[in-house]
Amino acid sequence: MSLFPPADKRASLADAAALVIDGAMVALGGGLSARLPMALVRELVRQRRSGLHLVGSAHSIDVDMLVGAGAVRRCEESYVGFEQDFGLAPAYRRAAEDAAIEVAESCCATILAQLRAAEMGLPFLPVRGVRGSDIVRLHPEYAEVTCPFTGETLVAVPPLRPDVALLHAPSGDRYGNLHLEQPYVLDERFASASRMVVATVDELVSTEQVTAAGVTIPGHLVAAVAHVPFGAHPASCYPRYAYDRSHLREYVAAAQSGPEGLDKYLAAYVQDSEESYRGAIGPDRLSLLAAWSRSTDAWQELFSRAGDSA
Amino acid sequence: MTWTIDEWFVVALARTIRPRETVFHGFGSPCAQVAMHVARRTHARDMLLVEGATYAINPDPPFIPPTSNDDSLRQGAAYSMRFEEFFDAAIRGDVDRMFLSGGQIDGYGNTNVTAIGPAGRPKVKLGGGGGGCNLSATIGHLTVWTTRHRSGRTLVRDCDFVTDMGHRTRLGTRAELGFTGGGPQWLVTELGVFDYRQGQARLVQTFPDVSVAEVRAATGFALQVAGDLRTVPPPSASELAAVRSVDPLGVRTSEFSAKELARVFESRAFDQGHGQDCAC
Repeated sequence: MSLFPPADKRASLADAAALVIDGAMVALGGGLSARLPMALVRELVRQRRSGLHLVGSAHSIDVDMLVGAGAVRRCEESYVGFEQDFGLAPAYRRAAEDAAIEVAESCCATILAQLRAAEMGLPFLPVRGVRGSDIVRLHPEYAEVTCPFTGETLVAVPPLRPDVALLHAPSGDRYGNLHLEQPYVLDERFASASRMVVATVDELVSTEQVTAAGVTIPGHLVAAVAHVPFGAHPASCYPRYAYDRSHLREYVAAAQSGPEGLDKYLAAYVQDSEESYRGAIGPDRLSLLAAWSRSTDAWQELFSRAGDSA
Repeated sequence: MTWTIDEWFVVALARTIRPRETVFHGFGSPCAQVAMHVARRTHARDMLLVEGATYAINPDPPFIPPTSNDDSLRQGAAYSMRFEEFFDAAIRGDVDRMFLSGGQIDGYGNTNVTAIGPAGRPKVKLGGGGGGCNLSATIGHLTVWTTRHRSGRTLVRDCDFVTDMGHRTRLGTRAELGFTGGGPQWLVTELGVFDYRQGQARLVQTFPDVSVAEVRAATGFALQVAGDLRTVPPPSASELAAVRSVDPLGVRTSEFSAKELARVFESRAFDQGHGQDCAC
C-alpha cells in the first residue's frame, strides 16, 4: 500500500468508521484518559463491528466499551483499566475471565519495537527485556535470537502492522494533516506503521492554521478525517477540554453492574448518534470541561473526589 | 505533629530516591507519583523527574490528578519526552530508578500485574504491566511497593504470573538473563520496609504500630528479618508539608483501604529538621 496522495479526505463519521472492517487489526491512539478516539469507538459500536484485534499501549474506556459491545476478538495492549481511581476495566475483565476474548497482553516497549520494525519494513527487531517474564507465554510469535556481534541472547519480535490506526486530534485540515499536543503516546508510530489512519478532529481548520500549529501526523498517512466536536470525550483533548472523571465513574459503575447495565449505558449515550451523545452529556458539562484553564481551582475541582460516594 | 499512614508511606517511598537520580513512575501509581515530587522538594532537589504517562521532565504540577495522563502533570516543564524517547533512555540504561507495584509480589521482587489464577482463564484479570517487562530488565534500580501487604494475598511465595522480573525468575538470575539493570532495591509496604540481600527481600524497618509477627503472618514467602531491625524514621515537618502541598486532592489515599487510613501517628517534639537524606 502506497502513501495517500493529497485529496480532500473529509468524511462523515459513519463513512470514516466504515473503513474499519470486521476482523481488522485496529490501533487505538491516545492513552489512559487522554485523546482516545472515542467518537470512532462509539461509531464502531453503532455499526456493530465484530472480530476486531485491538492494539494499543495503556487504555481504558475505549477498549472496555468495544469489548463490552462484543466488537473484539483479541486484545493486545500493555494495560486496560481505570488506574487506581476506578480500578479494573469491568467489561474487559469479564470477557478475559470468561475466555470470551483472547488476551495477548503486551508491553509498551515491545509494541514500540514491533511498530518500528513495521515502519522500517524489517522482519523483526530485538528487545533486551521480556525474557523471564510470563508475557512471553502469551506470544508464541516471539523468538530468541543471538546477537552476531556480542553473542548476547535477545528476544526477536515481529513487525506489527495494524490495518488501521484510529486517532483523535484537536485540529486538522481537509487533507488530513493533524496537529496533536503532547503526549503523542504512540500516535506517530501507529500512523506510520499502520496501513491507514482514520482520524477525527475537534475542529477542521485551514492548512495555514494547522501548519502554524505544527503538523504532527501528515496527511499522506491519513485516509479519512471526520469533524467531531468533543470527539475524545470522556477522555481529554488538551488544550480544548479536560477529561470527564464523573462520566468515567458513571461508565465504570454501569459496566461493573453487568452486561445489562452496560447495555443501558450504551442505549442512553451511544446507540443513537454523536449529536445525541453530546446532548446526553449536556452542553453545561462540556463547557465546564472546556473551561479547565480558567483557574487552578476550577481545574482541580473537575477531578475532586469529594462527591464520589454520591 | 500528627500524620497518617498514607503520608508516612509516601515519605518512606520518597527516601528511596537518591540525589541526582533520573526517576520514573508508571501510570496508576499515585503514591509513587507523590513520592517523587516530595523527594524533589526535599532531599533530592537535583533529581531528574520523568512524570508518568506524560514523560514531562521536572514539572511542577499544581496538584496530582487521579489519572497519570493529564496536562496538569506537564505544568512548569520546559520539555516532555516523546514516548519513544523515554523508553529508549530506559532501555539503554539512562534511567536510574523506577517505582513498580503488583497485585502479587514474590520474595525475589517478581511482580504480577496480569492475572490471578491461570492466565488463559484468570480468576481475576488485572490491568496489565505497561512497560514493566522491558523496563524492569534495564532500569538501574527498582523501588517496589504495595499498600496491600496486610491482606496476606500480595506478598506471595510464587506469583501466579510473572509480569515484571525481579532478581530471579524460573529462567534464571538477572545475570543469566542478560539484564543490565540492578533489579529491586527496596520494597515498601504499609507494614514496613525491605531491602534485598542476595536477591531476596529482607525486612529492615517496621512502622511502630506493626509487629514482626504481623508482618510474618501477612507474608507468603519465608520472612527474613535484619538483625538490626528498626522503626521507619518518622517524617520531618518539611516532608509532611511537601506531601500535603503536592497532593491536595489526596489521590495517594486511593491506594489504601479505609482501615489503613485510620492509622494516625504523633510525635511529641516538633521536628523542624530537613528530614532523612535517604534510606540508602
